[in-house]
Amino acid sequence: MNTVIDIGPVQLVLCLVFVLAAGGASLAHNLGLGKDLAVGTVRTFAQLFLMGYVLKFVFKLNMAAPVLGVFLLMVAAATQIIHSRVKQRTVPFLLPTFLSMFISYSVISYLVVGVIVGAAPWWSPQYFIPLAGMIVGNSMTAIAVSLERLFSELKSKHAEVEMRLVLGATPEEASREIVADAVRAGMIPSINSLMGVGIVFLPGMMTGQILAGADPLVSIRYQIVVMLMLVAATAIGSVLVVGLVRRRCFGKAHQPLVR
Amino acid sequence: MILELDSISFAYPDGASLFEHVDLSLEAKEFLLIRGPSGTGKSTLLRLLCRLEEPTEGTLRFDGIPYADMPPAELRRHVAYVQQTPTLMDGTVRDNLRTPFTFKANKALVSPDDPTLQQYLNDYLLSGVSLDMEAKQLSVGQAQRVCLIRSQLLSPRILLMDEPTSALDPDSAAVVLETARRLRNEGMTILMISHSETTPDGVTGFLKIGGKTVERS
Repeated sequence: MNTVIDIGPVQLVLCLVFVLAAGGASLAHNLGLGKDLAVGTVRTFAQLFLMGYVLKFVFKLNMAAPVLGVFLLMVAAATQIIHSRVKQRTVPFLLPTFLSMFISYSVISYLVVGVIVGAAPWWSPQYFIPLAGMIVGNSMTAIAVSLERLFSELKSKHAEVEMRLVLGATPEEASREIVADAVRAGMIPSINSLMGVGIVFLPGMMTGQILAGADPLVSIRYQIVVMLMLVAATAIGSVLVVGLVRRRCFGKAHQPLVR
Repeated sequence: MILELDSISFAYPDGASLFEHVDLSLEAKEFLLIRGPSGTGKSTLLRLLCRLEEPTEGTLRFDGIPYADMPPAELRRHVAYVQQTPTLMDGTVRDNLRTPFTFKANKALVSPDDPTLQQYLNDYLLSGVSLDMEAKQLSVGQAQRVCLIRSQLLSPRILLMDEPTSALDPDSAAVVLETARRLRNEGMTILMISHSETTPDGVTGFLKIGGKTVERS
């Protein structure tokens, strides 16, 4: 296998040409995206370099606590991103989101790294951090979509929910279809990606491994594991978060709080 | 007393107060019309009575039992509320009329058969409406009456009606008012919001709302 071709500082600076091209498009069409593009580029450099040094340090320590610390930090950051993206402040959903992500991602990450890949120990940083990171990063969007759908449907179907409640339904009975819709909305993208993978697109992990010199057949096996674990993580995460947050959408008199 | 309001206050989340320390007692088998200017809280009063809103202060009692001591679904089985805008779900008229019987709180009740449902439709001048018809194809007036039937089928002890005749033609409105009078004669307590100047037969009193309070007359 080939060794990896390193990307030096000069090449990195050269990449800024791509950003300049995007900035040029923004200027030409008066899109007003220049500032976001600049901030985004700086953040990409800063966050990834920071993560690189943290990973290097954690790999060197080779201890469970720092690995789990990084995992916890990733889940917390994902929770914060979801919280800022979902515009709903009547119902507190930060803690249930964190808990459902933490529980579902811990279980899936352990099963993938410890049981399927069979890394020893199961928290082995080289495997646990990238795989758990992919779970958090990919299913974060699904959780946000599920929550957005849950809140928007509870709002738009407010009269129908109230109608069921006044006819004797419990909040669970009154919102059953809405909950199913919200979970479905979160899961559809990961199911769709199962259809297109390998034909429409080459996923990031597989591409990364191939670039790093791995055998493509080993890469695809990892990718299959990743695709399936993402479907599971998305499903479990969405079901948990929607179930927990739905409880908070009704008051103690079972009255709807999202209107 | 079937319903008691003990020093009930209600304010919106932004702090704007709608009711302040309202005391009210309602006997069973009354037929009360609720009147008052727009925005004074007529609908909110009905929503408080079926716990779609919670008072900021005070205690509500049904048959002497504080609301807080009753499961909300159990309370709503006894205190039915017909919304101002008729709301039907996807499915046939039959599905809509039978759905409440699928809820856990109503499991002990017997779901009515087709001839019974058709009889209810006929009684409300809806003989042209078939049980197999898609409920969302009904006109507003027809939907309003189907909603009334749906609540009536659960045999509540109190029926809260939010302007039930506002979308109806005079004949259909007369049927609804006559049904309310008949239900009251059969032992149901009726509270109805009405903007009409005329007083339907069988009305036993009025609740006048305004100035953050509710007065009986």
